[in-house]
Amino acid sequence: MTHEELEEAVPLYAAGALDRTERQALEAHLLSGCQSCHSALKEYQSVASLLPFGLSPLQAPRALKSKIMAARNPDPLAVESLSKENTRPSLEPGEWMNHLFPPIAPARSISLPWAIGVASVLILSFAGYLAWIYTSRVTADASKIQQLEATVQEQTTKMAMLKRDLNFKDRSLADLQVDLQRKANDAVELRRQLMEQEVELETAREQLTAAVRGKAPQDEFAALLRRSDAKVVSLAASDVAKGASGVLLYNPVTQKLWLYSANLPECPNGTAYQLWAIDQKPVSVGTFHIDAGEMAHLLVKRMPQFEKVRKFAVSLEPAGGRPQPSGPIYLAGQRS
Amino acid sequence: MDTPTRHATSSIDPALLASIVKGDQQAFSQLYDHSSTLLYTLAFRILGNRDEADELLQDVYLEVWRKVARYDIGRGTPIAWLITLTRSRAIDRLRARTVRGQQATMQLDDGVSSRVADLGPSPYETQADQELRMAVGNAITSLPPAQQQAIELAYYEGLSHHEIAARLNQPLGTVKTRIKLGMSKLRESLRRCWEQGDIG
Repeated sequence: MTHEELEEAVPLYAAGALDRTERQALEAHLLSGCQSCHSALKEYQSVASLLPFGLSPLQAPRALKSKIMAARNPDPLAVESLSKENTRPSLEPGEWMNHLFPPIAPARSISLPWAIGVASVLILSFAGYLAWIYTSRVTADASKIQQLEATVQEQTTKMAMLKRDLNFKDRSLADLQVDLQRKANDAVELRRQLMEQEVELETAREQLTAAVRGKAPQDEFAALLRRSDAKVVSLAASDVAKGASGVLLYNPVTQKLWLYSANLPECPNGTAYQLWAIDQKPVSVGTFHIDAGEMAHLLVKRMPQFEKVRKFAVSLEPAGGRPQPSGPIYLAGQRS
Repeated sequence: MDTPTRHATSSIDPALLASIVKGDQQAFSQLYDHSSTLLYTLAFRILGNRDEADELLQDVYLEVWRKVARYDIGRGTPIAWLITLTRSRAIDRLRARTVRGQQATMQLDDGVSSRVADLGPSPYETQADQELRMAVGNAITSLPPAQQQAIELAYYEGLSHHEIAARLNQPLGTVKTRIKLGMSKLRESLRRCWEQGDIG
């Protein structure tokens, strides 16, 4: 056992944690006069002596003191004089062991038997020391082998787990690749279908536009302009609608009246323009609405009595119109 | 109600023991007053039983009365000597009880926690003892629980490191390291206490 190992055993000795053989080996070493171990032991013994001070105090029963005082031997007790004791050097090797574990038997004076006894203790201690070295090393080696075996076992287990994880991840990766390929194919097919649908949609839109154009009233209006029997009335703007204008076209065959107005102000909320046909008195032809940003408007009404009307006018009226004009006149014109 | 008498346990005068050597019964009575609470606490912590702690304390004080002449001031303070004697005898009794087949576990029959002290002042202590108790209590509670446990099993239950390793189902080297580190930390934390002559 090396000195380092003995030194490390000192705190365990002070705490009372060494086996008998270990204790004897350390005591033999201390008896050899190792000062560093002596000093360390003295400090660790002081630590051990302090430990009970950390406990919660518990008072001894009151009756205990009287029992002890009564039980002790009242005779003078001084076996050895104090002065003699105090002449001994402190911490003399071996003596503090008695201090630690006071012997139950009375101490004997220094004599030959005592010397023989000390020698026997020394021999036994040395033998114990050797035995402890041997057993400690065997125990330590066995412990190390067990630890190494446990470590190898642990590493093998970890390796097996890692391999299993790796295989699982490989399989997962292959599955993901297949899935990805399938989704890529799906995406190509979807893109192709989308393009076909876009083409179909464009074709349908063109057909719809053509169909709508074919039925637009503008064509009828344009045809009316080319008719020689069409009647035309120009409408001039009043002061409240400067820059505005209007024209009335009348188809005598279909008896439809077309009002085309331009640049009229937008209708304030709750109002509408109303077209009046005036002979003896104004008669409402219809109402229309100019919204914000709207520059022109076309109003078409059937009007069989067109030939009887002398004058036309457009006024701004409450929404829905009125039986008689009540608002300002914006456009006005006479039939020629 | 009696007013508790305060005696400084940590600073018993060695002259008191010298007087006891000469048969001074008054000195013996004072020694008891100074030390009985701490020794009874220690005995109860080890034995876990008030009756046994009573018996043990009687044995210890009678042994002190008979063998006080063996005390050597050069080898430690009076209280360190008394603590060592009490612990040694209590552990002997504990081992004898275990051999007889009785349970060695603590009973704590009065519900008194005999582990680390609560840090509040006690009316039975001097200020010096209170300070020492707080210092030791703090030093012990600042240890990692595993180190604290290993030291307590050795010191208060008299178990060797082999026995502690078996009880805790821990490797022997781990237990030795815990005790060694714990004692080393306590030595550094409490060095001031014995350097001031409180104990040691």
